[in-house]
Amino acid sequence: MEIIANFSGGLGTVLQPQTLLYCFIGVFLGTFIGVLPGIGSMAAIAMILPLSFYLEPTVAIVMIAGVYYGAEYGGSIASILMNIPGTPSSSITCIDGYPMARQGRAGVALFITSIASFGGGIIGMIVMAVLSPGLAKLALQFGPAEYFSVIFLGLIAASAVSNGGALRGIAMVMAGLMLSTVGIDLTTGDLRFTLGVPELRDGVHLVIVAMGLFGVGELIASIKANQTGRGRQEIDYTKFYPTRREWRASFGPIWRGGLIGSFFGALPGTGQTVAAAVGYAVEKKVSKNKDQFGQGAVEGVAVPESANNSATQTAFIPTLTLGVPGSASMAMVIGALMIHGITPGPRILTEHPELFWGLVASFLVGNIMLLVLNIPLIGMWVRLLQIPYKLMYPAIIVLICIGVYSLNNNVFDIWMTLLFGIAGYLMRLYRFEPAPLLIGFVLGPMMEEQLRRALLLSRGDAMVFLERPISGGLLAVSALILAYGLWTTLRKSRAPKTAHSNNKTSSNTGASS
Amino acid sequence: MMQIELEDGQRATLGQQVERIAGASVLVALSLYFMIGGFELGLGSPFRPGTGAFPFFSGLVLLALAAAILWQDLHSTGITERPDWVSFGAIVSALMVFALVTERFGLLPATFLTVLTASAPDRSLPWWGKILLGLFMAALGYVLFIEALGLPFKAFRAF
Repeated sequence: MEIIANFSGGLGTVLQPQTLLYCFIGVFLGTFIGVLPGIGSMAAIAMILPLSFYLEPTVAIVMIAGVYYGAEYGGSIASILMNIPGTPSSSITCIDGYPMARQGRAGVALFITSIASFGGGIIGMIVMAVLSPGLAKLALQFGPAEYFSVIFLGLIAASAVSNGGALRGIAMVMAGLMLSTVGIDLTTGDLRFTLGVPELRDGVHLVIVAMGLFGVGELIASIKANQTGRGRQEIDYTKFYPTRREWRASFGPIWRGGLIGSFFGALPGTGQTVAAAVGYAVEKKVSKNKDQFGQGAVEGVAVPESANNSATQTAFIPTLTLGVPGSASMAMVIGALMIHGITPGPRILTEHPELFWGLVASFLVGNIMLLVLNIPLIGMWVRLLQIPYKLMYPAIIVLICIGVYSLNNNVFDIWMTLLFGIAGYLMRLYRFEPAPLLIGFVLGPMMEEQLRRALLLSRGDAMVFLERPISGGLLAVSALILAYGLWTTLRKSRAPKTAHSNNKTSSNTGASS
Repeated sequence: MMQIELEDGQRATLGQQVERIAGASVLVALSLYFMIGGFELGLGSPFRPGTGAFPFFSGLVLLALAAAILWQDLHSTGITERPDWVSFGAIVSALMVFALVTERFGLLPATFLTVLTASAPDRSLPWWGKILLGLFMAALGYVLFIEALGLPFKAFRAF
């Protein structure tokens, strides 16, 4: 009953005209940016972040959340129509979405995407409303040692399973932690690594790091990819209503995808891509229509869409109740809240209930908006994808420049963005993922503060992290994830050598025979 | 010339090796910078960690990881994605133009020139198309950011 009362309160907040308007702006802009190939939800949030500073915290966070799930939905549109995933998590949707488009069923695929995203979003919202209060209550018993360990777990989980391998992922987290120390040390008041530049006294702004690494870096990489124009074709999107058989075939996958996505979304480090991939694999196992998977099965579109959208909602559970983001996008949400003077953590439910429950209720309103907005706008998104990219990317770079410049009206921020943009592109070339760096950058100050507090309370005894049961348990889980990540990296790096030595052996055998 | 055997059995020249390990080498340099800086700031004691303790130990862990990555990269097949230096140059120059022009001449000229610079290498867009796009973006920037959102930007500035 308490949850229903709180949810009603949140609905009251989100139905205020201003909140409703910014929820709509967030969902619309998110979808718009997400549709653009190569520009993911991270870049979308980075672009919208400067605008959120002018809003009340609740309104700002509702808008950012709208951008986030709007971009995830928008990413699926590019996946289905052009076989270019707008976001990493929508790459799974390509497998069956693009064959559907080629069979002249693009409209049906987009319709199912809208329905599945809505279904997944609602399941994710219910899971968040039910689980968060309990998790927050548990987190109230946390001391500095537990907080340090939970942050450590978040960092390890986010980096050990990164695409570039565990070593590279953890290295990026460490680089992010180091970068977060630039500026004034809030405990001692000393300046650290400012190189005598006054603008660096307050550290490097989150928007600059995100906009440089994701906005500029992704933009450079996407220019060439889009010039090739792969997959551009005439698409019939007028027939979009699914048949009765397609409706029936989608119902089960939406439920299963929603539940799988809710689970993986709430786990730090996994996120929507893993949720969509696992959902797809499970569906392929349980479906009666196994043979059609990969050739345009409607279930193959419904399940990843439902899973990635429910994961998008439940990713807010650890972010808001523990203050530990599971992904770079969630790290941006934490950064945005802190800029507004709100520290995410278990107290957010008691100190800022209007924000928490407003956000939960906004998922319902935002997902309805996505549904209402996107079914009639399918044609518009298709036309948007037909605008040549050569007209798009100069416009995007201008928006990035203005967004960064609006932070402080200082061109120093543009130079810093340029620096991070160059770093972002080079990191991409050298297979270093920027997401763990950003997570490390956001969590660095919190981690350092909790470490200092824990050591102060234990009079310098580092064993406190292992002796306290919750902290020790969290560190043990971190160690397991770390070991798994390192083992996978090692196995991957050994595989080509083994294959090579096998080839050598067989060629030698061949020569001798 | 010195050569090294890679994981796919091929051999790399010295130039290729330098390209391969450049990323990890930057990490080594970065970690050393933060370690030295952290040490100079003071490490403190376990009871009261100093200002430099956190960056120092973060740098130390990064140094170990960077060394492992360096070894791994030396034996890997190198950069997987071919760099697109033309797009890279255009976007970097566009940001530089915005930074240089906006404070001296204002937002509108900066927007116009940024669009021209970013689209300069694209031969499929004619020069008049680039100018039209620049003018459109400058007008959009004025309407959206100065008029609608009321951000404190100057549309034009005197020298």
